Amino acid sequence: MALQCERWIVSAIDPEIAGQLASDLPREDFVRIVRTFEDDLGRLARILETSVANGDEDGYRRAAHSLAGAAAAVGARRLEQVARIAMDHRNPADPRALALQVRREASEALAELAALAEHPPGAD
Amino acid sequence: MAAAASRILIVEDTPTQAEVAGALLRTLGLEVRVAETGAAALEQAQAWRPDAILMDLDLPDFSGFEAMRRLRAEGVEAAIIVVTAHGSVNHAVEAMRQGAVDFIVKPYAKARLTVTLQNALEKRALVTELREVKAQLGRDRFFGFIGASPAMQAVYRTIESVAASKANVFITGESGTGKELAAEAVHHASPRKGRPFITLNCGAIPRDLLESEIFGHVKGAFTGATDNRSGAAKLADGGTLFLDEIGEMPLDMQVKLLRFVQTGTFQPVGASRPEKVDVRIVSATNRDPWVEVEAGRFREDLYYRLYVVPLHMPPLRERGSDVLLIAAHFLAAFAREERKRLRGFERAVEQVLAAYAWPGNVRQLQNVVRNIAVLHDGDRVELSMLPPMLLRGATGQPVAAVEEAGCPLVDPKVAEIERSEPPYPAPTEPQAVLSSSPQTPFAATPQARPDHEEVFQSLAEVEKRHILAALDRADQDVPRAAAMLGVNPSTIYRKLQAWRGEAASSRH
Repeated sequence: MALQCERWIVSAIDPEIAGQLASDLPREDFVRIVRTFEDDLGRLARILETSVANGDEDGYRRAAHSLAGAAAAVGARRLEQVARIAMDHRNPADPRALALQVRREASEALAELAALAEHPPGAD
Repeated sequence: MAAAASRILIVEDTPTQAEVAGALLRTLGLEVRVAETGAAALEQAQAWRPDAILMDLDLPDFSGFEAMRRLRAEGVEAAIIVVTAHGSVNHAVEAMRQGAVDFIVKPYAKARLTVTLQNALEKRALVTELREVKAQLGRDRFFGFIGASPAMQAVYRTIESVAASKANVFITGESGTGKELAAEAVHHASPRKGRPFITLNCGAIPRDLLESEIFGHVKGAFTGATDNRSGAAKLADGGTLFLDEIGEMPLDMQVKLLRFVQTGTFQPVGASRPEKVDVRIVSATNRDPWVEVEAGRFREDLYYRLYVVPLHMPPLRERGSDVLLIAAHFLAAFAREERKRLRGFERAVEQVLAAYAWPGNVRQLQNVVRNIAVLHDGDRVELSMLPPMLLRGATGQPVAAVEEAGCPLVDPKVAEIERSEPPYPAPTEPQAVLSSSPQTPFAATPQARPDHEEVFQSLAEVEKRHILAALDRADQDVPRAAAMLGVNPSTIYRKLQAWRGEAASSRH
């Protein structure tokens, strides 16, 4: 099923949010945030997948909620939107497909954040 | 940011969000801690006392609303800022209704977070300041003082204002108003509080010993100076020297004190070199110091050196309901000491205490309450337990009328004692008194006389009888008698000296 995530968002991260963070914070702080985000993604994605496998709807939505919050905090907009779809009781999207998409969006967001950490705005 | 050292508690269960908030706050110079659950937030808020709390509403154990309710119930006064996602603004509004000072929508930029926090912290600082000011205006305890009257609030404020400075303080006030307590308060509220507070009663020390008492002496300086001895000035180095009854200081000694006040240096009696000390001087007198200057009894130049910050202690009659606060305090203390049940005053007694003029001020009130606690027992102090002097003073009725109205002039127990024993002979010479054994029991009601012919004694007579009775009870041990009377031993020494002088002049 075509997910309702807005694919027109070309970049996985919102440069206004992530870029602002990268320029507001010392590089080591921004790197630490990216690492924390990576840990969160790994942990929450696993909980999401386990909850899908176990039919644990409550666990699934709670993990999706946390994912949405973490993604929003670093400007990972596409990931945030997928997570919000997963949070929504009324959305008929297949949880397994959503879990897969979470993995995909997470990877892309992490890659772009890592690049941003390497080359923060104004670094050149 | 203004609140550079403020403490911020982040209540957030998603590490990325906590990390982002923490990193932004640290760049603002704030101290940051994170609580991942509502329970942890409650614990940290109590233990760490944050200035502000960034509160996520969706927590693993209970909601942010519940956390806020519990925080407020536990008396946590931190400014709570609710952090909410898009679409949850209704939640934020609800949180504001429940006591949050503001809300911030995630994701937030550093500038937005800065403004929100700054506003919240400033608001909290204002609330705290307002509460402190209100507390100061209404406080009824201050460094040993008891009293909430406007007159005493002014005293507290003056003491607080001058405490940090090294400026000399000059305390005036009637006898028994707490001048020494005020001097101690100045010392204890000051940065010198860890250093000595030395009291010297200028009126209690023989004229020829005063210089040695203040500045010390070296061995052989005069007959009896068998060792080097530090004076009060040296002992008070780094601290405060309290010169009580400064008006009694002889003029020649005032010259030496002036030099010490001006230079901070002094020369012990018999010493060849001056010594320098760092001393703050607090002086006190129950006289009007300017009248003393005009009368030529006090040096004008010394007056200006010492009278830098005047502090006037109000008489008890000008302190309104402080009388009842102080009486209640003394009653609790003396009842405990005397193992009595007395726990309060009847309403009529309170009215009498409040209406009386208290010429002897707090010290007189203290003696009256002690007298009651020694002689009586019961749940509450009744009208009949009061000394007649108070009843007459309060009602304006002649003593006989008060007695007819059912208020005995004399406590029956005291009357019994006085009937069986001869009246206490008014001493004429203190030495003789000290070696005699007066028959009057300690703390007997001063007015009590078997024949009721002379129903009023002067306060000085009452005080004299009371002090001598206390000395007798203490086997002529002045410090012990002073402790029993709740006064400084120097007060008793001074009184004895004065009586000795009176006796000597009456012989000539």
